[in-house]
Amino acid sequence: MAEEFNTEGMLDMYLFENEQLLEQLQETVLEQKDSDCFDEDSINEIFRAMHTIKGSSGIMMFDNITAISHKLEDVFFYLRESHPDNVPHLELVEHVLTVEDFISGEMDKIRNGDSPDGEPAEIIAELNQFLEKIKNGGAKKGKEQAAVAENVHVEPKHFYIAPVASSASRFYKIYITFFPDTEMANVHAYKTVYALKEVAEDLLYSPEDIISDAESAETILKEGFRVLLQSQSSEEELRKLIGVGYDIESVDIYECKADEFLQGFDFGEHELKIDLESSVEDIEAKVNAAIDQSSAEEELKEKPKEKPMAPGDFVIKSKEPGKKKQLAKDKPKAEKASFISVNVSKMDQLMDLIGELVISESVVLQNPDLKVPGLNLTNFNKAAAQMAKISTDLQNVIMSMRMVPLTNIFQKMNRIVFDVSRKLGKDVDFEMVGEHTEVDKNIIEHISDPLMHLVRNAVDHGIETKEERKKSGKSEKAKITLSARTEAGKVWISVSDNGKGLDREKIMAKARKQDLLNDGKPESAYTDREVFQFITLPGFSTNEQVTEYSGRGVGMDVVVQNIQAIGGVLDIESETGAGTTMSLKIPLTLAIIDGIVMETGDSSFVMETGVIKQFFSVKEDMMIHEPNGEEYVMIRGDCYPVIRLGKWYGLDHYCTNIEDGMMLILEVDSRTICLFVDKLIGKQEIVVKPIPSYIKKVKGLSGCTQLGDGSIALILDPSGLIE
Amino acid sequence: MEETNALGSLPQDSKDVSDERDAQKGKYMTFKSGNEHYGLKIQYVNEIIGFQAITAIPETEHYIKGLINLRGKIIPVIDVRLRFGQEPFEYNDRTCIIVISVKSTVVGLIVEKIAEVVEIKEENILPPPSIVRADKVQNKYVYGIGKVGGSVKLLLDPDKLLNDTDMSMVEQANDMGVEE
Repeated sequence: MAEEFNTEGMLDMYLFENEQLLEQLQETVLEQKDSDCFDEDSINEIFRAMHTIKGSSGIMMFDNITAISHKLEDVFFYLRESHPDNVPHLELVEHVLTVEDFISGEMDKIRNGDSPDGEPAEIIAELNQFLEKIKNGGAKKGKEQAAVAENVHVEPKHFYIAPVASSASRFYKIYITFFPDTEMANVHAYKTVYALKEVAEDLLYSPEDIISDAESAETILKEGFRVLLQSQSSEEELRKLIGVGYDIESVDIYECKADEFLQGFDFGEHELKIDLESSVEDIEAKVNAAIDQSSAEEELKEKPKEKPMAPGDFVIKSKEPGKKKQLAKDKPKAEKASFISVNVSKMDQLMDLIGELVISESVVLQNPDLKVPGLNLTNFNKAAAQMAKISTDLQNVIMSMRMVPLTNIFQKMNRIVFDVSRKLGKDVDFEMVGEHTEVDKNIIEHISDPLMHLVRNAVDHGIETKEERKKSGKSEKAKITLSARTEAGKVWISVSDNGKGLDREKIMAKARKQDLLNDGKPESAYTDREVFQFITLPGFSTNEQVTEYSGRGVGMDVVVQNIQAIGGVLDIESETGAGTTMSLKIPLTLAIIDGIVMETGDSSFVMETGVIKQFFSVKEDMMIHEPNGEEYVMIRGDCYPVIRLGKWYGLDHYCTNIEDGMMLILEVDSRTICLFVDKLIGKQEIVVKPIPSYIKKVKGLSGCTQLGDGSIALILDPSGLIE
Repeated sequence: MEETNALGSLPQDSKDVSDERDAQKGKYMTFKSGNEHYGLKIQYVNEIIGFQAITAIPETEHYIKGLINLRGKIIPVIDVRLRFGQEPFEYNDRTCIIVISVKSTVVGLIVEKIAEVVEIKEENILPPPSIVRADKVQNKYVYGIGKVGGSVKLLLDPDKLLNDTDMSMVEQANDMGVEE
């Protein structure tokens, strides 16, 4: 038994780790799919990811995954070591994605308990071919590199590995420290400058007047010699030029971005102090955290003095800064937190327990024993208030633990846009806004498919072909924006394209054909919104030809159904010729909802606050009774159907006199109905629990919850009531 | 109650299900419903709780009385007498709820009176006599008749007890994993 658990744990870990690696890989690849090439860090990252996957798959004996990751690793090893020329970037991107798909697919099989039996031979053959191709292409390149080593200034050429700035020249910050006993350090410094001038396109150094000012020697010794360099040479080449000799203690070269370079020594000035008393790592950290310098400085000062550097350090360190820089740009340094992965079921358990705690708290605090007159409860109330605060905090923490950013799901969409647009020959720019918006984990699971469908639709139907775009005077490159934001306790996720927009006439024509129009209503009376809602009806498609991406049997009606299942709505806005925006409005969490508690007969019910438009008491003369038993109520000139909850469920002892009870006006799926209940109890945040599966699904009930006194209330599902 | 007590005292600790399986083997939780005594394998029994307020659920079978809150877990309860198609009875403070767990479905059984835990040896269990087959409703849930001293206990198959006619329902629900 124990052994079984062990391998299981290993497998889980394997799947978890590889999943993360692949996600990261995909993110990296897609981030740079539009540039001409990968930068060095990405190549290293992909190489490392493949290496890790190869290793762990080898241990788990998944040979096909091992083989394919090994091959891709080979390709990237070659890219990394040989810096070949003329690599077809998009082809490479596709190869990486194919491999990633393959491994993901195999991992799904493993997860489902099947054996990973995919045949990687074909992909490996393709990769071999590709590798051959770039190897041949790069043959010339070797000679050129040799030329550079001989200090000959060669003509500008295009390296496959280029800086993020995506131009041939790179920007460096160079820090040179001389041995403290060096005499005339300024002359030595000038020697270095002279050597660098050969490859420099732009060169700046500090202190500046090293030739005329003898005192600069002291400054150089004390503070180091700093050079800003723009050059096409690689770091290794620069190192050779400078050379570590009897005079130079250490050379640190950092590649930086163009804008950092342009800041010149204004930026460098700040670092003077750090150079003096901090270690190399600290300087690196300093460079990277350029944005939040002040905070970093504090800790830097506490660091030990400069350590002597081993020659080998250069290689590793020189790669790290670039990587850190990118991270530093994406996230502030403070976010560098440690993570622990926790089983979701444990989280759910914790959540349940906290829910329990909140309820038992209210049982204690509202205990009838406390209502005895004449009790002095001052101290009790103080303690109770403290406890209430803690339990609220506790609730907030557990809720925040369940929150995950939308980043992953957005990345997936990026991939879909990439795939679909390439297949359809459309040129699409994909923009993500607010991908760090957090929603409850259980919501994420539900929105993935609908969102995928909307994004696919946008590329397939929303965006015109290149020719059409040209004709209508638009830029050939279309744009799809995926954005997320929170507003009033809901999350809005929108997919917007700048394509042709929805065709109102076409939709109306189709609606007429399918007999969806209301007879009495003139066609012009339909608002755009109403018209666009037609496309969410089952079997409604204005697309004449079925393409690969729209013939999958998942229509807009399914999207809407899925969204509704989690209490969300789909909003469609469109302007002919300018584009379409589909917005999902979904709740932040499924676990806790804001509800109105009410009573009918002997039972308590809860209704989500959002759907209730109004409460009011009805007079008998407002009621309209049909002979078949149906009832309507007339409110301010509008007539709404009435459901009496007690009668609907056949409860006992419910209030029959319409004037004694309470009427709720509900707006569900753009329909308005009235629900008659005995009385309202109040508004409450409720923890939603499923009705035990032993009980068959009851129409109109979506779950149950515990009330403050420990009793159970049933949660009404308004869309179940209107069927 | 009297006659069962007279049959000698056997271990009464019904809650201690964490004991070794061997200790539970052959032990039955017995209770009275109508005029008969029934037995349930002790492995199925989680605990016994006193009667508490039940929240009715509309539109369910008549024997499903509703939901109770068992320390934060919401579980359905069924009335055994109604389940057997017998006359309903008044619930009072002696009414108990036996919480059983069958294939991860947790359900409370409302019974008139809890008797005790008895040990019934394999050789003392008879298949239901075929002559009783006339009474089909009974036979569905009873898989054996246990002889304890001078009395007999009808041994219940909890799977069949919970599920209307077919087993598939509970299994489906379990597959879906929606059970708390």
